[in-house]
Amino acid sequence: MNWLKSRLLTVILGVAVLLAGSVFLTSFTNNIKLPDNHQGYEPVQPIAYSHRLHAGELGIDCLHCHGGAERSKNAGIPPVKTCMNCHKFVTAPWVDVKAEGDLADKEKRKSREIISPELKKLFEHMGRDSASAPANPAPIEWVRVHNLPAHVYFNHSAHVNAGVSCQKCHGAVETMERVRQVSDLSMGWCVNCHREANVFGISGTKVQASTDCVTCHH
Amino acid sequence: MSHEHHHHEDEPTGLDRRSFLKMAGFSFGAFLAGCREGKLEKAIPFLIQPEEVTPGLAYWYSTTCGGCNAACGILAKNRDGRPVKLEGNSDHSLSRGGLCAIGQASLLGLYDSQRLRNPVAHGKQVTWNELDAAVRAALERHSSAGVRILTGTVNSPTTLSVINRFLARYSNAQHIQYDAISYSAILDAHTISHGVRVLPRYHIEKAKTIVSFAADFLGSWISPVEFTSAYRKGRSLNETPPIFSQHIQFESALSLTGSNADIRVAVSPQEMQLCLRHLMEIILRKAGQSVTGLTVENSFADRIASIAEKLWAGRGESLVICGVNDRKMQLMVNLINEILGNYGTTLDIRRPSQQAQGNDAGLKSLLDEIDEGKVGVLITAGCNPLYDLPAPDLAAQLLTIPLTVAMSDRLDETASAAQFACPLPHPLEGWNDAEPVAGIVAITQPVIQSLSNGRSLAESLNCWMGEKKSAYELIREEWNANIFKRTSGASTFDEFWNTAVMAGFAQVNPLPVKSSFNQSSFASVSSDTAFPAAGSLMLVLHPSLATFDGRHAHNPWLQELPDPVTKIVWDNYASISKSTAQRLNVAEGDVVAVNAGDGTRVELPVHIQPGQHDGVVAIALGYGRKGTDRFSDIGPKWIQSRPTVEKGNLVGINAAPMIAFVNGTLQYTGRSVTLAPTGRSVELVSTQEYDSLYNPDLLGKPTTERRPIVQETTLAAYSKDPSAGSFHKHEIVSMWSDDHKYAGHHWGMVIDLTACTGCSACVVSCQAENNIPVVGRDEVRRNREMTWIRIDRYYDESDGKFSVAHQPMMCQHCGNAPCETVCPVLATVHNEEGLNQQVYNRCVGTRYCANNCPYKIRRFNWFHYYRGDDMQRMVLNPDVTVRDRGVMEKCSFCIQRIQLAKIEAKRDGRPLKDGDVQPACAQSCPASAITFGDMNDSGSRIAKLMKNPRYYRVLEEIGVNPSVGYMTLVHDREEKKEVTHG
Repeated sequence: MNWLKSRLLTVILGVAVLLAGSVFLTSFTNNIKLPDNHQGYEPVQPIAYSHRLHAGELGIDCLHCHGGAERSKNAGIPPVKTCMNCHKFVTAPWVDVKAEGDLADKEKRKSREIISPELKKLFEHMGRDSASAPANPAPIEWVRVHNLPAHVYFNHSAHVNAGVSCQKCHGAVETMERVRQVSDLSMGWCVNCHREANVFGISGTKVQASTDCVTCHH
Repeated sequence: MSHEHHHHEDEPTGLDRRSFLKMAGFSFGAFLAGCREGKLEKAIPFLIQPEEVTPGLAYWYSTTCGGCNAACGILAKNRDGRPVKLEGNSDHSLSRGGLCAIGQASLLGLYDSQRLRNPVAHGKQVTWNELDAAVRAALERHSSAGVRILTGTVNSPTTLSVINRFLARYSNAQHIQYDAISYSAILDAHTISHGVRVLPRYHIEKAKTIVSFAADFLGSWISPVEFTSAYRKGRSLNETPPIFSQHIQFESALSLTGSNADIRVAVSPQEMQLCLRHLMEIILRKAGQSVTGLTVENSFADRIASIAEKLWAGRGESLVICGVNDRKMQLMVNLINEILGNYGTTLDIRRPSQQAQGNDAGLKSLLDEIDEGKVGVLITAGCNPLYDLPAPDLAAQLLTIPLTVAMSDRLDETASAAQFACPLPHPLEGWNDAEPVAGIVAITQPVIQSLSNGRSLAESLNCWMGEKKSAYELIREEWNANIFKRTSGASTFDEFWNTAVMAGFAQVNPLPVKSSFNQSSFASVSSDTAFPAAGSLMLVLHPSLATFDGRHAHNPWLQELPDPVTKIVWDNYASISKSTAQRLNVAEGDVVAVNAGDGTRVELPVHIQPGQHDGVVAIALGYGRKGTDRFSDIGPKWIQSRPTVEKGNLVGINAAPMIAFVNGTLQYTGRSVTLAPTGRSVELVSTQEYDSLYNPDLLGKPTTERRPIVQETTLAAYSKDPSAGSFHKHEIVSMWSDDHKYAGHHWGMVIDLTACTGCSACVVSCQAENNIPVVGRDEVRRNREMTWIRIDRYYDESDGKFSVAHQPMMCQHCGNAPCETVCPVLATVHNEEGLNQQVYNRCVGTRYCANNCPYKIRRFNWFHYYRGDDMQRMVLNPDVTVRDRGVMEKCSFCIQRIQLAKIEAKRDGRPLKDGDVQPACAQSCPASAITFGDMNDSGSRIAKLMKNPRYYRVLEEIGVNPSVGYMTLVHDREEKKEVTHG
């Protein structure tokens, strides 16, 4: 029996060492996640587009650019054409334009056009008019931030039409200079929200948020 | 260019979840993996988003199917700029919403990377400009020696008008049309009997009695989707008394149509002529004509007398058709139909069909001209004479023609032998039009940016006349000039054009057809029928229901589609009857040499076919196409795998050399052949190994006990008692508590076996919708086929009578599902709406569920299946997961469609209504045999069908409570004496 006891002890000890080890490792890094959990992912984008400025300060509605969210499974990233609707005319921050205007007045000359470095990158993808059109107009290759595995089907329109706010999943994008993945987008996180919605509704409206597997996996 | 178009830039350290798990155990590895970011994925939006496109939403184009000449209306579902599914257009006046297996699979043909993309001159790739210059110069030089354009059936008004303009430029120029599966005799016979060369439009729905002599009108004859839909319309059990046509089929081999007939008579090709002549004589007598010498004594006299009686009683409401390309037989058929007054009711020659226009006599004289060296220029388009004609010397003769141009979708037999090969666009990537039936003009519009540098026949000819115009311009011109004036209603051409493009077709006034019945044509019916020597066999060649005349032989979906009758895949074979096989001492799979008298021979494996006449060998055309050795690579590679075809071999054997030219028509039946065993043997691969509804002897029970799978009854019995034929109902005792209420929807399906013809359109539709891979011949041999729908075909030879039943079988979504109780990881569970869910990401592949499934409908991914060529991945439905190795799968009731319909209904703030959800199988069924819906909705079609006395469920007595039900198969035939199950 002694032999058995010692073996049992070994197993317990082994588990304890593993646990201690993992706790020890955890203390070195706060970045321990399950595979494919990209919470906090904040990649550098080809153009430093600011959601804080557009959605926050200027108060442009999310759906103005991501209109697919209402109709389609994909919210959609706006085509360059959508940017150009405004940026055909807006080429730099107002302060910079005004400063140049004041300087031109002082120097008694016509003011020069000010183009901010980030918008210059935009204009390389599509010209402001036919004269300045680039030879090979190409779409912008944004880096995808929110990315679900291939076996998950998420439909934006179902959620937006049920009254779920964009921020519920994407966080306060209107405060972000660069977009960051706020939620972990794990299955547990999805199912939790569905369960809560079934009990409490969404903003007081009763909803049916199915927790069937095939709702998302098919 | 699309949003959600992901570029995978593999970072060397990046691991995706699955490959990581392949390398390490999950529990410990989890700590390490989180430290790294995965692949850097890019999201590339449009530069300028087209108005009709929203990424993630499907958009639809109405167009016309190019799978054969029937020109069914289709809707092409597009996602992100590429078509991912074809569906029947339910508003179309010909096809009425159905789409056959070939039509469904023609989508995969679009993404075939071996299609010809660029013009080729003398074996070298050239530009169109170079080719045009060379062809124009050669035309200049050689046109005086005779210009011949050889095509398949052309019923495009635009192409015909361009061809005519082209021919008018030369003094000696002709356009010859032929069909590899020829209907020429029908048209020729009408020239004799009605004074006009037309193919009638058959209104099968109006016929109360259909007598078919070997016309496979539900399978491959002229316009099978239209005919299947019409056949269903004429056989409805909803009214009292039922409106139910009687279908009598005389045939030598077993065709799909014969397998559905109420009365099927197996006859040899000679006997068929004899029967037809006998039938004509009786009907002529009834009409008061004096006839003599037509009938010889035969054993079918009684049967024919009763058929004649029925036809005579239902004058004007009957139809006699014949699928044999023999002018004499077709003439007899015309006379019978004329006397019965069927012209104008069940056959229409005022609004004739133009789905087959081939003229064998024209073809024959062209072949003679080529033989005599009288052709200077030969342009072939959309046909493959070196493959599908019995002309062994043609290949050598082509080389002597000064200018040969072949327009084809690939470098096929003919195109690779021609001096110039021009790529034709796939029907889904170019503009075209068609007038399949006089007065119905259809539009084919491109649904994808062209993947090839193809050019249509009309464009090329127009260009060689010195004028470059796109197919779109040509069609609009033609429609503006000639079609628009045949309309009434539309005010402007643009209005008419836009409506037509949106609908995919337009109804216009047909061009007038002048016909008059010619009494004297009786005289040309003579009574000679040569009977073969005893013991010799007659050949019957028929189109394949998958590859048709060979044009779809490069389509792996169709090659792996089990033949609706034999269930054999990836091959053709010589079908003979059991007693003939015994007489010749050959067994299934033994390779025999089929010898015709003149030295033509093919070597094929034997297939023993129940229901076939003893004196007949039946062989499918459409196999042995050049380039099908590409499929030697298809299917998984592992230590025991065998290739689908040996390297260098083709899929099947081309039987076209066995076609005979007799009296100027291509003869597919009646040739006398001998069979000689070669001593070799191969394994024919079939998806069904046991064909009977009766228990096998091995099970110990007497073989007279019919298994309770297919409920079958006769019309007479049904009329007396609508529940006739029902199985004895056992009291079902369940150990399960009744705690699943399904408060919301409860999805279910009902399949009407009386409507189902077994055509297999649903099988391919499901394959396209649900990303089902092709596994190759060897895996099918190991019973590892992946199709979610299997159509079981049962032969019943009890009581000395032969009959066939088709039964589509897919996941039955059992209420008490046996698969669910044995899954150790809960990868298959029930949902709130009664669906049996299969959760791929949970499945670990124990396969317990498949073992415990009483219907055997679960499919396991034994391998990571390679999907043909890489371009064919473009056909994948982005709404359905592509399953990886080690995962179980099965019918999901098209859950992606249910989800989408629910989301759309919620978005629009309306309740889901009956018919909003249509699974792929139900959508494509030409016979509308499949009904899907919410069993909880008392007003739904399915809820009504479930109350029908014909409703039953397969293996109900085992208590699994399936959600799929069937409706009794009813035939208008004599009752069989049977031992009922007690």
